[in-house]
Amino acid sequence: MSRRSEGAVKLLKELLFENKLTAVGLVGVIGFLVLALVEGVSLGRLTPYNPSAINLMEANLPPSPAHLFGTNFEGQDIFSRVLAAIPIDMGLPIIIVALSALIGLLLGSIAAYFRGVLDEAIARVTDVFLAFPGIIMALAVAATLGPSLINATLAILFVWWPPYVRLVRGRALEVVSQDFISASKALNTRFPYILWRGIIPNVLPSVLVYATMDVGTALLSLSTLGYLGLIPPTRPELGSMVASIGLNLYTYPWEALLPAFVVFLIVLCFSLLGDGLREMLDVKVRPHILIREKVEE
Amino acid sequence: MTTPRELSLFLFKRVVSSIFALIGVFVIVFLVSHALSPDPARLWAGPKAKPSTIYAIEVRYHLNQPYPIQFYYFIKDYLTGNFGIDPLTGKPIAAEIGYYLPNTLELVLASLVIIVVLGVFLGYVSAVNFGGYRDAAIRVFYLASWATPTYLGAMLAVLGFATYLKLFPSGGMYSPTLTPPPRVTGIFVLDSLLSGNWADFSSGIYHLALPALTLAFLNFGIITRVARSSILEARWSPHVKSAAAKGLPTRTIRVRHILRNGLIDVNTLGAVMFGWLLSGTVVVEQIFGWPGIGQFAYSAIAADNYPVLIPVVLVFTVGVIIANLVADVLYSVLDPRIRLGGGR
Repeated sequence: MSRRSEGAVKLLKELLFENKLTAVGLVGVIGFLVLALVEGVSLGRLTPYNPSAINLMEANLPPSPAHLFGTNFEGQDIFSRVLAAIPIDMGLPIIIVALSALIGLLLGSIAAYFRGVLDEAIARVTDVFLAFPGIIMALAVAATLGPSLINATLAILFVWWPPYVRLVRGRALEVVSQDFISASKALNTRFPYILWRGIIPNVLPSVLVYATMDVGTALLSLSTLGYLGLIPPTRPELGSMVASIGLNLYTYPWEALLPAFVVFLIVLCFSLLGDGLREMLDVKVRPHILIREKVEE
Repeated sequence: MTTPRELSLFLFKRVVSSIFALIGVFVIVFLVSHALSPDPARLWAGPKAKPSTIYAIEVRYHLNQPYPIQFYYFIKDYLTGNFGIDPLTGKPIAAEIGYYLPNTLELVLASLVIIVVLGVFLGYVSAVNFGGYRDAAIRVFYLASWATPTYLGAMLAVLGFATYLKLFPSGGMYSPTLTPPPRVTGIFVLDSLLSGNWADFSSGIYHLALPALTLAFLNFGIITRVARSSILEARWSPHVKSAAAKGLPTRTIRVRHILRNGLIDVNTLGAVMFGWLLSGTVVVEQIFGWPGIGQFAYSAIAADNYPVLIPVVLVFTVGVIIANLVADVLYSVLDPRIRLGGGR
C-alpha cells in the first residue's frame, strides 16, 4: 500500500471512530451523495410518484404511509418532490464551492507567489467583492440574470469566491517562504509546476476543511434564493418548494416544514463533518485531543 | 502596543482602501442594475402610462443618455449628498432609507446582544467541560442552529410561539393602536424610552423579542465555536498554570485569566457579524413583517428599481466596512501584542 493511501485510511479511521458526531456527519454526507447520484443518474427512478403530476383529488393530504411527506395544494407527492430536488440541492452547492475553491487556489497562489503589483491588484479586487452585502448582492445579480437554477448558481458564485482567495493566499505565503520552493526556483522551475506540485498539495487540506462546512452554507444561500423567488417553482428546488406553499403554512404546516427540514438535515451533516475535520486539524485544539488520548490510555 | 501615530496611519490607509472598495462596489452595482432592465421607465410609470409621462421619467433619470453619462450623474448627485427621488413612491430615497435602516438596526443590535451573551456562555461551558457530554451537546446545538435555514427557523418561531402558543405577536414593530414616539434616533424602542412612553416601549420590546431571538438563535453558533476554541487555548496556556501554581482561587483564574483572553476574538467577530447580519435580515424581516431595509432592498430588486437599489447597497457596504474597521481597532486595543500597520 502506498504512503498516501495509508494516510487516507488512517484519516478515515480517525473520522469514523474518534468522534461519533463527526462519524454521523460523514455517514450522512455520503448517504445524501449516494441518494443524489442514484436519483440523478437514474433520471428520477427513485421517486414513488411523478413529482410534477397534479392530482387535485388528493390535495393537502397529511403525511401517511402512502404519501410519506403528505401532498401539497396541487396534490403533488411532497416526498417525491423532495427526492427529485436532492440531486440539485446537493449538486449545485458542491459546484459553487468547487469553482470558488478553484478561483481561490489560482488567484491566491498567484498573489502569494508573485507578490508586488499582481498581489496588490488581486487584493483590491477581492476587497471589493468582500465588501458586498452577500445575500442582497446575490439577489440583485440573480434578478438581473433572470430567475433560473443556473443563474441563481452564478449569482451565489459571484459573491462566494473571495474568502477562498484570502484563505489560499495566507497559507500559500507560508509555503512559498519555505526552502523547497526557493530550491525549486533556483532550478528554474516554471510557476505552473511549482503551483501544481509545491503549493496546491500543501494548501489543499485547509481549503478542503473550509469547503466541507461551506457546502452546507452554500446550500443555505441557494435555497434562500429559491425561497425568495429567484428559482422558478416549477424546478425541483427545496427552497422554492417551501415558498410555493405560501399561506398554506398555517393550515398545512408540513407542506413547507418537511422540505425545509431536509435542507436542515443536509446542511447539518456537512456541518458536523466540517466542524469535526476542522477540530482535528486545528493547531490550537489538536494537541489537547492528543494529550487527552495519552492520559486516557 | 499600537501607538496613536500608528493607529492614525492605519486608519488613514484603511479609509483610502475603503473608498477604493466603495467605488468598486458602486461601479459593479451600477453595471449589474443597469443590465437589470432594458426599459425601466415603462415599468416605473405603470402599465397605463402615457408616452409623455414615460418620456418625462426618462429625462428625469437621464435614461436616454449613454451609460457613462448616467454614471456621471449618479456620482455627481451622491457626492453632493443627493440620493434622488424614488421613482415608484415619489419620496426622497434618503428619507426612505432613514426610515427603514433604524428598524433593521434595532433588530440587528438586539439580536447581536443576545448572540454574544448566549454564544460566550455556551462557548465557556463547552470549553470548561472539554470532551465531556456537555461539550458534545452544545456542539450539536450550535451546529444544528447554524444548519437551520432562516426561513425554517422563522416559520417555526411564528408557528410555535405566535400562532399556537400565542406568546408573541406574529408580526409588526408595535401595536397599531399606539401612536409612535417622536423620532430622535429612529429606533422605535430607544425613542419610546427617551420620551418616557412606557406603553410604546413595552409594545416595542414585545414585538421585537421573537424576531430578535430567532435571528440570534440562528447565528450564535460561530461565536460559541470561536469562544470555545480561544478559551481552550487560554486554559492550557502557561500564565494560567502559573496563576494556579500561585494558589489563586479557581474562580479568579477562570474570570480574569481564561475568560478575559478568550473574549478577544469574540469582540472582533461580533463586530464582523454586525455587518453580516445587517444585510442578512431579508428573510426574517419578510416572515415577521418587519419594515426593515432588507425588505426595502428586496422590493427594489423585484421592481427593477435601481435608483433605490444602488444607494441601499452602498449603505450596506459602508456598514460592512465600518464593522470590519471597528473589529480591527478593537483587536489592537484589547490585545496589546497586535500592532496595527506595523510588522506585516
